[in-house]
Amino acid sequence: MRFVQNDFSENKEPTIGAAFLTQKCRLEDRVLRYEIWDTAGQERFHSLAPMYYRNAQAAVVVYDITKATSLEKAKSWVKELQRQANPNIVIALVGNKLDLVQASSGTGGAPGASEEGEEEEPDDATATPGEGEEPAEGEQSLRQVPKEEAAAYAQEAGLLFAETSAKTGEGVVEVFTEIAKKIPIEHILASARGGPAGGRAGAAQGRAQAGNVNLQEGAPGGGKACNC
Amino acid sequence: MTTISAQFRNYREPTKDEAIRSFFNAPPAGPGEIPPTGKDVVEISAVMSLRGEEQSYSGRLYLMPPFLAFISLDKKSARFTLPLYTIRRVEKVNSRAGMFELALVLWHQMKINVQLTSLRPTADAFCAQLRDALKAQLPQMKRLRPFVRVSYSEHLIKEDGEEYMDGEDDVKDGEDQGDADDVQEAKTEFLGGLGLTFKFPGDSKKLREKSKLKLWKEYLRTHGRNATLVRYPSVQRLIQVGLPNRLRGDLWETLSGSIYLRFANQGMYEEILAKHAGETSTSTEDIEKDLNRSLPEYRAYQSEMGIGTLRRVLTAYSWKNREVGYCQAMNILVAAILIYMSEEQAFWLLEVLCNRLLPGYYSPSMHGTLLDQKVFESLVSRCLPIISEHFHEVDVQLSVASLPWFLSLYINSMPMIFAFRIVDCFFAMGPKVLFQVGLAILKINGEKLLEIQDDGGFIHLMRDYFNTLGDSAHPQASDPRMRAITNFQELLVVAFREFSVITDDTIIAERKRHRNEIVTGIESFSKRAAVRNLKDPGQFKKEQLGAIYDTLYRAICNVSASGSGANAIAQLETTDAQGRAETRIDIRTYRIFLSNVATWARDETVVSNAFVERVDRTVAEHELIDRMFFFWDITHRGALSFQDIVTGLNGVMFNDLMSNIEWFFTVHDKDKDGFLSRDDVLQLSESLLFIFRNEIGDAYLGAVSNFMANAFEYGDALQPQINGAVEVAEGERPPEPPTNTPYLNLATFRMVVLADELLESFFDADFSATFKLELAPGPESPSETPGLMAGIGGLLSNLITDENKKTLNRFADELGKSIGRHQVTYRPAIGKVDRDMALQEPKLREPFVSPQMRDRSMSSGSLTSAASNSSLPTPSSELNAPGFLPPQLPTFPALPERTPFAIDEVKDDDEDDEDEDDLVVTAGDESLDEVDAFLQENAD
Repeated sequence: MRFVQNDFSENKEPTIGAAFLTQKCRLEDRVLRYEIWDTAGQERFHSLAPMYYRNAQAAVVVYDITKATSLEKAKSWVKELQRQANPNIVIALVGNKLDLVQASSGTGGAPGASEEGEEEEPDDATATPGEGEEPAEGEQSLRQVPKEEAAAYAQEAGLLFAETSAKTGEGVVEVFTEIAKKIPIEHILASARGGPAGGRAGAAQGRAQAGNVNLQEGAPGGGKACNC
Repeated sequence: MTTISAQFRNYREPTKDEAIRSFFNAPPAGPGEIPPTGKDVVEISAVMSLRGEEQSYSGRLYLMPPFLAFISLDKKSARFTLPLYTIRRVEKVNSRAGMFELALVLWHQMKINVQLTSLRPTADAFCAQLRDALKAQLPQMKRLRPFVRVSYSEHLIKEDGEEYMDGEDDVKDGEDQGDADDVQEAKTEFLGGLGLTFKFPGDSKKLREKSKLKLWKEYLRTHGRNATLVRYPSVQRLIQVGLPNRLRGDLWETLSGSIYLRFANQGMYEEILAKHAGETSTSTEDIEKDLNRSLPEYRAYQSEMGIGTLRRVLTAYSWKNREVGYCQAMNILVAAILIYMSEEQAFWLLEVLCNRLLPGYYSPSMHGTLLDQKVFESLVSRCLPIISEHFHEVDVQLSVASLPWFLSLYINSMPMIFAFRIVDCFFAMGPKVLFQVGLAILKINGEKLLEIQDDGGFIHLMRDYFNTLGDSAHPQASDPRMRAITNFQELLVVAFREFSVITDDTIIAERKRHRNEIVTGIESFSKRAAVRNLKDPGQFKKEQLGAIYDTLYRAICNVSASGSGANAIAQLETTDAQGRAETRIDIRTYRIFLSNVATWARDETVVSNAFVERVDRTVAEHELIDRMFFFWDITHRGALSFQDIVTGLNGVMFNDLMSNIEWFFTVHDKDKDGFLSRDDVLQLSESLLFIFRNEIGDAYLGAVSNFMANAFEYGDALQPQINGAVEVAEGERPPEPPTNTPYLNLATFRMVVLADELLESFFDADFSATFKLELAPGPESPSETPGLMAGIGGLLSNLITDENKKTLNRFADELGKSIGRHQVTYRPAIGKVDRDMALQEPKLREPFVSPQMRDRSMSSGSLTSAASNSSLPTPSSELNAPGFLPPQLPTFPALPERTPFAIDEVKDDDEDDEDEDDLVVTAGDESLDEVDAFLQENAD
């Protein structure tokens, strides 16, 4: 939501299966079209997830930095993706709700999307109850997942890593930009017919590779209940 | 992810009676309602007519207490499902000879005539049963009046100031309603949803609410209402133009049959809420997160009142149906329903949705959803092959768009006013409506669909289409009436006309066809997830973990299949450290599981009759198994998770000699103090005997008694030291210490075990080898049970279904017995020993058991005194020469470490083996021949 509409909404219809969003973005001299699948958060929907990530070029796995268990769930998602999804998939691990652990707060943002393809994202966009109002105890007050720990894991597993705030928008666009840089676009474009702007580029076969980009699954991001 | 649901696998097709009840929207018969005959539905041919309608219909009349139901032969023109408690009077009409006709007068004063067209005796029997059933329902009739009084349909009928129709009859029936009741009645409000307060969606003028209400009022007056509605062809049209908002909730519960549940369970909704007030669960947490995201555009859900209503219904249902709990999409459904219905009405409608109309849609595995997606896909490829092929070509998956259609009954996809009209049809005509509408959507958009290249394009196209449902379908048409037809109207026409071929039976057949595929898919998914989510896979390889999972899964299926309902708690749902739902198994399931992993945890009998040889397996029960269960249950929950089992197996399957001995020791050290008590030692011996119970020959028996003797000897020997040296006279038994005090420590135990060659080899490799993981190549068919899977049966088992197998086996056994070729032998747990021992038995018994035992008991006195001097007697030497034991003791004064033992033992072993090797082989062959000869003799 934040990435696509630059918006953060507290209340939003829950995702049934997955919500589909698109966004165009300029990267260097090209326009990229992100097609994002925001997969449902509830545990029991996970058996449906392969349907959305099967052709994805990238995935954003989101966890909640204020909830230690969410990182564990995110890890199991990463494993699933590495084993079941497109072998060249670019995975980004994103710790969300940065706004909650920063004394100086911004305002809102949601997690992101992907490029030319589908992606799932759990949208942590929604409401975190009680946000913000912690009397500036300073950083780390609510944090349960140290940045170093998650970053170390990401490094080890070969993932992109970032911390963001969907609420304030901090870091969100960067995540998607990083993903776009890492996806072998040239390669994809070469195999897809023509379309300079990615996106729907290829037909059947082109698309299988080029088409969809990422999914982002979220760990219990915000209110969105994404629990992997 | 570690949730393992056996429910889906154990799916069985409904019986004919159940299918009939389901067709008539009647709740399934309770256990008490099925007569001893097992047949709870009686049917008869009949012609039905209703006073005030000219047309009469021939069809079938069903008596299925507490309901009387009718369906016309064409299955759509006329039908009713009447609760027997709404029938006030039944009269036999005297008509022409040979005609048997009943006149029913219902609560709402309608009069229905049914002519029973079957043979006279059949009709008589039917009548007798009807009479009995009516009598049984008489007490319920008293509750009907206050129940229907608050229905909106009653309110509608009487709102013009007309007299309440059943008023006069109360006196006649002698029902004591009293005046106070009447007064109250005037004030009673009717049941309704949030729409009454927050306005209904849509423009009531455009929806022509008034004229619709008027038509319905006419219909309900003559055809009954709420509990007594009789459906005639005109009702179909009334439903398809959209139900009037005010009457919608009332009709939904009548058409779907949820009203019968509400009647039968009055007050339960409030009770559930009261009972669980203040409680939370993962479901309630999930519900909280979604409350603000359920139709947020509708005003009621921007208020505390609306949110509270939604919260209560969802929460109450999550307690009522714990298996389902709460699934996203239910919030949308319930939010929509609550616009038109009271909380209690919505609660029971949700029950009908989850159990009958959308079975398995919202369960943790969502198998119903997956199944219906598969069914839909298959219908598309059959009815719209070109679209299907195109999707296949461009690799677009239908479900990416159609999943939410089914899961939220289109409410989440279309503008609400249109979605509700589909829901109207859905409640009236059942799940096929969802498929018909889905097919129509694709068909109407056919040309554009052929242009799409990817999932994204598909989604966008559908989104755009749904946004224009209110637009004219033919904007260019010159005829204004044509122009007035909206896309939505066109959709319904296509759905119900062109796809009328999709019937209930189509859906049932398709579901049946694809069910196994879905089961397999779900199972492999959850297996993958379970294996992946293990925190510690131990030394197992992935395939082995998979095999453990399969075995565990089969055990769970086995238990829940055999469970007769009441004891179906074979699996316990809990949450793990990450808050994930997790399946744990109880001890009963554990026994079954273990019996499929460890050869000694089952009794296998090799049965050979004249035709085949097969192996029957039964689950063994023993204290040892229970101890292992609690030993593995590290979190002390009385139940094991998949991880517990993997860790447990890991702790026993890869052990070497020493760690096996230690493992065995620890399992039997009940109080975990590092010592076995006397009781523990006895128990341990019993465990050994249990494991060896089916071995051939006495060798193991000897080894165990040997072990016991040694254990008590050393234990006694050490005892005085621990207690502070008690003098024991030569040849006299020391005073028995209390049986539960610390007695034998690990070092001593090890020593005692190593003193016996057979036990040593058992602990060295044989014990670990008794654990065998069967790597099942493919998924087993749902009904297959572990006991039968082991069947050998050759040809026969290929030809025969599992259900028949048992019967056939029994038959073959009988036959085999009768011709004297029936044999049952127990299969031993440790294969190798069986061969060795069987042969050596005669030779071994002498040197191995008896003399040693004799020596042992003879030397026990001296040993005691000798042992009291040295802290740790050595076991190694006594193996071959027990008599030399005392002198050798000083050689190993104190042996705390196990290494010397091991080396020593190995040496001894080697020697022994060399000596005996040849013997064994020859003896083995011989005795095998002997056995064969014996068998043959007996066979003939």
